[in-house]
Amino acid sequence: MHMTKLLSPAKSKVLFLGNEAIARGALEAGVSVATGYPGTPSSEVIESLARVAQERNLYVEWSVNEKVALEVAAAASFAGLRSMAVMKQNGVNVASDFLLHLTASGTRGGIVLVSCEDPGALSSVNEGESRYFAGMLEMPLLEPADFQEAKDMTKWAFELSEAIGNVVMLRSVTRMSHASGNVVCGKFPAKTRKAAFEYGGPIMDSQTGPMISTPVVAKHLLRRQKLKAVCALFEKSPFNRYTGPARPDLLLITASACWLYAVEAVEMLGLQKRVGILKLGTTWPLPPRLVSGHLRKAGKILIVEEVMAFLEENVKVLAAGDPKLSGGKTFFGKYDGTLPFAGELNPDIVADALAKIFRMKRGSLPSSYLEEARKTAALLPPREQTFCAGCPHRASFWSIHNAIALDGREGFVCGDIGCYSMAALTPANGYWTMPTLHSMGSGTGLASGFAKLSPFGFQKPVLTVCGDSTFYHAVIPALINAQHNRADITFIVLDNQGTAMTGFQPHPGIEVNALKESVPAVDIASICRAIGARVALCDPFDLAATGAALTDFLAEKGSLKVLILRQACALSPEKKGKKTFEMKVDEDLCLGDACGCNRLCTRIFRCPALVWDRKKKKAAIDEVVCAGCGVCASICPRKAIIKMQKTVL
Amino acid sequence: MRKKRSSQSRLKKDVLEKSLCTGCGACVGLCPYQAVYKDRTVQLFDCDLPDGKCRAFCPRTPSDLPLLRESLFDASDATDEIGPVKEYWLTRAKDEGLRSRAQHGGTVTALLGLAMSEGWIDAAIVSGRLDGREPEGLLIDRAEELADYAQSRFWAAPTVAAFHRAPESGAGRLGIVATPCQAIALAKIRTAKIDGYRKGGSLSLVIGLFCGWTLALDRFQNLLEKYQLSASALTGMDIPAGKNVLELRTAGGSANVPMDEVDSCVREACRCCVDSTAEFADLSVGAARFGANPEEMRGWNQVIVRSGAGQKLVSLARQRGVLEFREAPPPALVELKNAAAEKKKKALVRIIAKSRSPKNLLYLNPDDPVVRKYLK
Repeated sequence: MHMTKLLSPAKSKVLFLGNEAIARGALEAGVSVATGYPGTPSSEVIESLARVAQERNLYVEWSVNEKVALEVAAAASFAGLRSMAVMKQNGVNVASDFLLHLTASGTRGGIVLVSCEDPGALSSVNEGESRYFAGMLEMPLLEPADFQEAKDMTKWAFELSEAIGNVVMLRSVTRMSHASGNVVCGKFPAKTRKAAFEYGGPIMDSQTGPMISTPVVAKHLLRRQKLKAVCALFEKSPFNRYTGPARPDLLLITASACWLYAVEAVEMLGLQKRVGILKLGTTWPLPPRLVSGHLRKAGKILIVEEVMAFLEENVKVLAAGDPKLSGGKTFFGKYDGTLPFAGELNPDIVADALAKIFRMKRGSLPSSYLEEARKTAALLPPREQTFCAGCPHRASFWSIHNAIALDGREGFVCGDIGCYSMAALTPANGYWTMPTLHSMGSGTGLASGFAKLSPFGFQKPVLTVCGDSTFYHAVIPALINAQHNRADITFIVLDNQGTAMTGFQPHPGIEVNALKESVPAVDIASICRAIGARVALCDPFDLAATGAALTDFLAEKGSLKVLILRQACALSPEKKGKKTFEMKVDEDLCLGDACGCNRLCTRIFRCPALVWDRKKKKAAIDEVVCAGCGVCASICPRKAIIKMQKTVL
Repeated sequence: MRKKRSSQSRLKKDVLEKSLCTGCGACVGLCPYQAVYKDRTVQLFDCDLPDGKCRAFCPRTPSDLPLLRESLFDASDATDEIGPVKEYWLTRAKDEGLRSRAQHGGTVTALLGLAMSEGWIDAAIVSGRLDGREPEGLLIDRAEELADYAQSRFWAAPTVAAFHRAPESGAGRLGIVATPCQAIALAKIRTAKIDGYRKGGSLSLVIGLFCGWTLALDRFQNLLEKYQLSASALTGMDIPAGKNVLELRTAGGSANVPMDEVDSCVREACRCCVDSTAEFADLSVGAARFGANPEEMRGWNQVIVRSGAGQKLVSLARQRGVLEFREAPPPALVELKNAAAEKKKKALVRIIAKSRSPKNLLYLNPDDPVVRKYLK
C-alpha cells in the first residue's frame, strides 16, 4: 500500500505528507533524475521517489553532498531531462557555489532545486534562509502554502524552469514538509524523454551551445532578461491569491505555511471584514503590478513570514519604486518589531501582531484551562535530549572523556553534525568534552586551525569527531588540510554504519545505494591512510581498547591520527529490537549508596536504560528501554551489572 | 545545614592544585572516579560524596602523625630525624644471584621472599617493572618472581592503588614495598576507623624505601629525549655515591646525567616531603652510603628496624641466613640523621613558601613536636 500511494491514479484524493506531495508533483512533471543529501525536513522527497524509481523509470541518488547532488541533477537538465535536487536549508549553502554558476550558464530540461527549511531549528543547528539565494542568484522562487499547492507548484516549477532556461527554487518549511494533507492527483506524462547533450552551437545559445557562465556580463544580462519573462508569468499565477474586503483596513501579505497561520489568526480575532490577505506563491521576483495593485488598497500593510524579512524587504523596495503609490503607507513586520526576526511563527504570534496593530485586547485563556494544562504537563515524565540506549556515541564519548582527563592537558573535541551533536547540545551526553558545533565537516577544519595555534601559546590537545556520512560529505578536504599542514589532531570517525540521524539513508561507505542496488563501498580507513594519517580502528563498545588507542594517540605528538570507532547505530534496521546481551543488575553485588561509586551508572554514565530503583536503593535495568549493548557492564566497579549472551533460537 | 564539601573536591584543592600529590595511589582503586595515568593522579568525573576514603588515606591531607606513631611504634624508639629506630644495620642478600639483579644489596627482595616462604604474607605488592608501559603496582604471590621487580624506578608508581584493588579475601595477608609517602598512606589505612572498612588489617608488612625525591615523568621524559633515550628502554637507574650524576642503564650501555639537570625534573610534591626514610614502615631500607668509603659500601643496604613485626622478620632473616649483616660504622647513623634533618628543614621552607604562613603547613601540623623542632 505504502509503496504505491505515490503512484495513485489521476483524480484520486490522497493524504500526502508535504514532501510526498512534492515528490508526486515531480512525477507528474515527468522528472527523470532526482538527487539529494539527507537532511531534516527534506529527506522524504528522495526516499519516496526512490521507492517508485523502478516503476517510473527514474534515477534517484543520495549524493555525497548537496553540491554534488545539484551537479548530478544539472547534468540531466543539460541532457534535456527533467531533474530535481533536494536538500535542507543549509544544504543550499553547500550547493551555492555551483548554483551561482548554474544560474549563469542556464539550464535546458526543467530543473528544480527543492529546499526544505527549518524555521525555529526544530531539527537543525541553524535557522538558515535560502530565499536570499533566489534574489542573489536571480532565480525564480516558489513557496507552496498547502499540500495541493506543494504538488501543483512542483509540477509547474519544472515547466517554468524549461520556459526560462534556468533553475527554479521551491522552498518548503518543516510544517509543510512534515505535515499531511489531502491532494488531488494529476496525470503522469505519457512520453518519456531521451537524454542527449548538444554543445556545438553558438556560445550564447543555451539550448545548443556550451553550458558555461561566460561571457560573464552577457550571460548575466541574459539571466536578467529571463526574469522579465518570469515576472510576466508570475503576474497571472494562480498561486497568488487575494481574499478579503475590497478596501481592507490592513493588507496582510504572506506566503508558505505562514498563510495558514494568518488565516487562522484573522478568524480568531474576527477581523475577516477588516483584513485582506494576499497570499503569494511566487515570492521572487515579486510580480510588481499584482503587488502594487493590492498595496494601493490599504494604508496599513503587515508582512507575515518566518525568520528573515525577505518578503518584507522586497515589498518595500517595490513600493518605494512605484510612483503611483503615494506615501502614507505604514508597514508592519519584522523591522518595526511587530513580528520576531527569529524562530517559527504560529497563529498566536500572528494574532498578537494583529491585536497590537488594531489595538485590540486578546482574551486570555480561562484559568481553568491553564490549570488543566499544568496538571496534564505534570503527568509527562521529564525527558532530556540524550543518546538512545545502546547508542555507540555514548560509549565513544565516555572513552574520549576519560582519555582527555587522563592526558591532563585539557584537550577538547571540535564537534560536527550528526546525532553526536547532542554531545554539545546537552553537554552531559558528551561528558562535557565538545565545546564547538558548526556546519558539516567544520569540526575537522576547526581542529586543524586550533592545532596551529601553539606558536601563540595554545597547548591543549585537539580532537575532533565526525560521523561516517559527514566524513564523505565535507570532512575529506579539511582532513587533507590537517595532514598537509602538519596539524597535530586526533580525528575520530563515529562510524555508525549509515546516515542514522535522518533515517539510515545509505552513503558512500555502504554497499547499497538509494535504489537498493549493490554498489562499491568507499573505505574510510583507506582514504585516511592514503592521506598519510596513522589510522586505528576500534569497537567503541570495547572501552578498554578504545581508551588505550585514544591515550596513545593523544600522547603521540606532531601528526594527524585517525581513530575509526565502528559500531552500528542501535536503531539501525539490522540491530533494532535485537539485543546482543540480556542485562541485569546483581542485587547482591550492587552496594547501592554504600558503594564508593556514587551511582556512576545512573548519575554519570546515564544510559536511559539504567535506572535507580528507589525502593531497593540499587541500580536496575529498564528491560524495555535496554538495547543490550553490554557497555554498562564494563563501567560498574563492582561488576554488579551482568551481561548474558542472548541465546539465539 | 551547609552541605559538606566533597572529599574529591577537597583533594583537588588541597593536594592536586597545590602540587602536593605524590602519585602514591592511596586515593585510587577505591572508586571509579580517581585514576592514575603515567605518574599523575586524575579525577575522571566529579564525585560529591563527603567522608571519602580517598581523602582519608591521602598522605598529603592533614594527618595526626603523633597518633600514628603512637599506634604503630614504641615511644622509646622515637627519633626526631628518622622516626622510630629499634635497630640499625648494614645488610645484603646472601644470594649472590639476587644481589646481581637487585638495586643495591637485595635486602628488600630477600626479606619479602622470606616473609612469603614462611607464610607470614600470602602475596607482596611491588612496583612494576621498569620497562612497563605504565608505572603500576603489582600483586606477586610467587616468591621466585620477586627478583624480577628488584630494580628501582625513580618516578612514582601508584602501589597503594594495587593494595586497594587486591581482593579482600584470597591473598589475605599482604606485604608491600612503599616509599615514605606511601608508608604514611598505609599507616593511615592500617589505623583507619571507618565503618565497614577492615582491609587495613590485611597489611602484615610494610617495607619502606629511603627516598629523596621522585621524578615528574613528563619532564623526565623530555630529559631522556635529550639523551636519545626513552623511559621504556631503561633497564636500571642509580645515583652512584659521590658522583653527582644519575646513571641511566639501557641494554645498549649507560649514560650519566648531571644532577642539576635531573633536579629540574624533580616532582614538586617531593620538595615538600619531610620524610626521607619511610618513618611509618615496619622497617626501612636504603642504599648504604654513609660513614665509610662509598666504593667499599657498594652493594650494601642500610636497614632501620622500626616495629615489632619488622624486628621479627629481620631476626628471622639472620637466623635463616637469608641476609648478611654488618655493623654500621658509628658515623653512618649520624650522617643519615643529619641528611634526614636537612631534608625536613628544606621541605618546611618550601611548604611555608607555598602557604605563605608558618602557621599553615598544609598537610603538616605545626603542633607536631617533630615538625616544630625543624621549623626553627
